Amino acid sequence: MPEAYENGTEIEVKDLNLWYGDNHALHDISIDIPKNSVTAFIGPSGCGKSTFLRCLNRMNDLIPSCRIEGRVNINGEDIYSKETDVVDLRKRVGMVFQKPNPFPMSIFDNISYGPRIHGMSKKEMPAIVENALKSGALWKEVSDRLNVSALDLSGGQQQRLCIARTLAVKPEVILFDEPCSALDPISTSKIEDVILELKKKYTIVIVTHNMQQAARISDHTAFFLMGDLVEFDKTAQIFESPQEKATEDYITGRFG
Amino acid sequence: MSNRKIKEKGIESLLFASGAVTVVALLLLCIFLFRDGYLLFDNYPVSSFLTDTKWYPTADPEHFGLLPLFLGSVIVTIGAVLFSVPLGIATAIYISELANPKIANILKPVTEILAGIPSVVYGFFGLVVLVPFVQNTLKLPTGQTALTGSIMLGIMALPTIISMSEDAISSVPRALKEGSLALGSTKWQTIYKVTAPAALSGISAAVMLGIGRAIGETMTVMMVTGNSAVIPGFPSGLFAPVRTMTATIALEMGEVPQGSDHFHALFAIGSVLFITTFIINIVANYIKRRYRFNL
Repeated sequence: MPEAYENGTEIEVKDLNLWYGDNHALHDISIDIPKNSVTAFIGPSGCGKSTFLRCLNRMNDLIPSCRIEGRVNINGEDIYSKETDVVDLRKRVGMVFQKPNPFPMSIFDNISYGPRIHGMSKKEMPAIVENALKSGALWKEVSDRLNVSALDLSGGQQQRLCIARTLAVKPEVILFDEPCSALDPISTSKIEDVILELKKKYTIVIVTHNMQQAARISDHTAFFLMGDLVEFDKTAQIFESPQEKATEDYITGRFG
Repeated sequence: MSNRKIKEKGIESLLFASGAVTVVALLLLCIFLFRDGYLLFDNYPVSSFLTDTKWYPTADPEHFGLLPLFLGSVIVTIGAVLFSVPLGIATAIYISELANPKIANILKPVTEILAGIPSVVYGFFGLVVLVPFVQNTLKLPTGQTALTGSIMLGIMALPTIISMSEDAISSVPRALKEGSLALGSTKWQTIYKVTAPAALSGISAAVMLGIGRAIGETMTVMMVTGNSAVIPGFPSGLFAPVRTMTATIALEMGEVPQGSDHFHALFAIGSVLFITTFIINIVANYIKRRYRFNL
């Protein structure tokens, strides 16, 4: 485990176990995720990294057979306690998905959707939309056609729209679930730039299949294997001198 | 030509012929229907057919007024829509989004079985159960009213509306719903603002088909609406007997002399019915395509 973080800890997970029916998918995961930095989860398919990510905004609640034990504190608050309002939690912990999933409405309405359901007035929308699109590095490309359907955008633009949409509800944490796996290299690099910019204000957790991506953008990296958190350290440490044999084998491409 | 090629050609022509039969059958049906309907206007003015408020086909002089029958169909159908559309869409949302899978697995097949019950059985049920119920609860002189017909037609349109809307709602990608929930919207906000609009084309098509079914239904309405050809008021007409276009054709066709004005008048009504359902189908397709384009 890394030493105390300079910006403090955002997410503390203690002994988290998760079952899908009888399948014990995550074993005793404990991890402290630092504030205002990028933390990457890497590991082979099926290792539980996406499942773990979805524990952090309780997206797994949607799966009826899923059972979770353990503690997850975000900013000191236990998100699995009975008093937690899931709706409020998801407002604080935003998520960007693997495949871009803009709503079938205009660009403007996609961004204003979140703020509107959280009760902000129509008058505030133009400013919110503009700010969100600027932070998502999409404003220049779409400022003259906000009323066009979001589905007319390219894949990369759609994903940046989804990021902007998440930013519009002003979260503290943003979870990225393999955000670039459906995108070309140029779109990927744009999104990486956005993520690096965002970490100044937000805590970022990103699941990625792409180890170069983890190395490029993350400050800390966690390696998952078959439901276990094998190793978690500063990214440089993980890639240059991993402590565990399994980590080394994975990052040097011996399996995956 | 090789043997194989001849076989290929043969199968192709056979399939083409099957397709052509459908089109030709439809065309012949149209020609036959419109021709026999049109013959009425040799002896009876179109304007009277369209504006006369009386349907007295055997009186002297005869009155072939479309209005009471057309409005009878309209009022029964409107009632059925008001009853079945909200109920049907709500049920579809419940089955696809809210019900626990075990309940959904019972509900869905049950609604589909409802579609398989013959209309005369619905009519019989309506006559024996619903007609006395309506009469007693609302203290009406007769229970055979437009309202009774509307309720029965609504029940009959429900399976179509539920099953098609349910398909449309379940086919909305999961990613879309998750995207909405991840922004901190509630289950209901997600259904109302994302899932339902995304399924709108399918839902509209379902509603239109439900309406189409209600307008064209004959046996059940004939058994429960009382069949009196007077122009219904709205909404008071809901609580009085009415007669629909379909019931008129079914009731009178057996007794008219072939080739008489009355005979042609029934065909004219059939043409109006055909045109109405045709327009509904076109509207349904238009809505479907329009929203698909936006998506």
